[in-house]
Amino acid sequence: MRYVALALVGVISFVIGLVHAPERAWAAFLVNHFFFMSIAIGGLFFAAIHWLTGAKWSRGIHHLSESFTAYLPIAFLAMTVLYFGSSHLYPWSRPELVAASPILTAKAAYLNKPFFFARGLGIIAVWLAFARAMIRNSFHERKEANRTLSPVFLIIFALSFTVLSFDLLMSLDPYWFSTIFGVYCFSILFNAILASVTLLALYARTHNSWDIKLDRFHDLGKYLFAFTIFWAYIAFSQFMLIWYANLSEEVGYFVRRLNGGWYAVSAFLVFGKFLVPFLVLMARGAKRSIGVLSAMAVYILLTQWIEILWIVQPEIFENGPVVGFLELGITLGFIGLMGMSVGGFLKSRETLIQAEIASFGTAGGAAIGENARG
Amino acid sequence: MSRSHKEGGVLGLFDDPVRLLEAVRKLRSRGLTEFEVFSPYAVEGIEKAQGLKRSLIPFVTLVFASLGCTLGFYFQYWTSVIDWPLNVGGKPYNSWPAFVPVMFELTVLAGGLATFGALLLFARLPNTSRSALDPSITRDRFAILVSGMNPEDASNLLTTIGAREVRAIVPRGWF
Repeated sequence: MRYVALALVGVISFVIGLVHAPERAWAAFLVNHFFFMSIAIGGLFFAAIHWLTGAKWSRGIHHLSESFTAYLPIAFLAMTVLYFGSSHLYPWSRPELVAASPILTAKAAYLNKPFFFARGLGIIAVWLAFARAMIRNSFHERKEANRTLSPVFLIIFALSFTVLSFDLLMSLDPYWFSTIFGVYCFSILFNAILASVTLLALYARTHNSWDIKLDRFHDLGKYLFAFTIFWAYIAFSQFMLIWYANLSEEVGYFVRRLNGGWYAVSAFLVFGKFLVPFLVLMARGAKRSIGVLSAMAVYILLTQWIEILWIVQPEIFENGPVVGFLELGITLGFIGLMGMSVGGFLKSRETLIQAEIASFGTAGGAAIGENARG
Repeated sequence: MSRSHKEGGVLGLFDDPVRLLEAVRKLRSRGLTEFEVFSPYAVEGIEKAQGLKRSLIPFVTLVFASLGCTLGFYFQYWTSVIDWPLNVGGKPYNSWPAFVPVMFELTVLAGGLATFGALLLFARLPNTSRSALDPSITRDRFAILVSGMNPEDASNLLTTIGAREVRAIVPRGWF
């Protein structure tokens, strides 16, 4: 019920926004659409790694990762809704701008509304098909089927997520290009899904008393720590090459983000998004403390959202971030939709997942024994 | 640690790590502290069962990695700002983003080498004069060496806590 109320708040904020400040409303919509879609498909990605490698440490927890894919149908819907707002966001979707620019005219074969949305919807449809098939296998213990499907999915995911991040985010400035952009968005996706799974697992342990061992949270904390560094590495690689070469067709992206009100946000990304989780999660005690880990997971999730805002908004609002009740309301709406999807997924499968996690204590011991002989 | 080798003792061999883990817990619950555990690979939870203290290696890594990072920055700052300032593409002398890759590499290099050195130091390696108590504990079996106890009592104890095979180790000059 709480989540339905949040979703309603989101719908109302969005409608009010469309009337009074359509630019802000659509920008906020795009930020949240991309953020929550990343978490949804990230859930399948994270689970697919486990199926592919036959991971045992995460037994049961991978179902929590799968639960986020329940949001994919809504991502499909949001992609459709975005059709009506594309002219507020993307310069290439405005005929008068395309006609005036030879570069945009040359790119029109790729950057045009029908092809853009056909790509977007087609990709999400393929993800949905994989999610349905692989999650059915996962709950029916058809491990071999998933081990065959996982590499196929992972390759398709790598290509399709790159396409989607180029389309949805990079084409906000259709003159700018960065070949690392797909990996860069993937590093945000992976941090977001890791934080989400950690948070959900912590919630299941503290509120629904699921028997998830502290060692598992230690492992998830290590993952979060490692991929904080991964993000910094990729994000810095993108920044440094463009900053150093200082080419006029590339550097505009960072010039916009290092001036005006955006400078503070850029500085926050360096210190707040990298240094804080890096230093906090370095300590072993932090990864094994429910309190610290929950706080860090929420914080990391928030920083990923801020970063997507930092990718989207400077293209529209050059003076600095625009965050108010409108942005907050739309974000709450998306949280509501995600909560409804995940809640619905877990409700019907809770006992099953709990049983699988509980069997870990005993079966896990036997598994070590298997390893010793195998 | 190596004291027990010199003194010798009784070696109990186990077939699987779960039995080993249980046996170690039982030994500790009987108040026994003078024993060593051998395993061909890392067994999850064994350090806790043995009551081992945390290794100092991560702290060595941290200190040396920070040192590598700081010195990496300092050297580049000194060369490009103090000792030999050059105007490169109109950028400021202290163009710190350009220093980051070298700082990162030196962090990893100093941290990595220090970790390796610390490992050798703490594990007292290389040590060619030592040999395995039983070749199978480097392959697929697990063992507990109990020392500082009457050999007969030790054998009985190891058998009751689940050892498959018990063998006396005669003290030898190890070093």
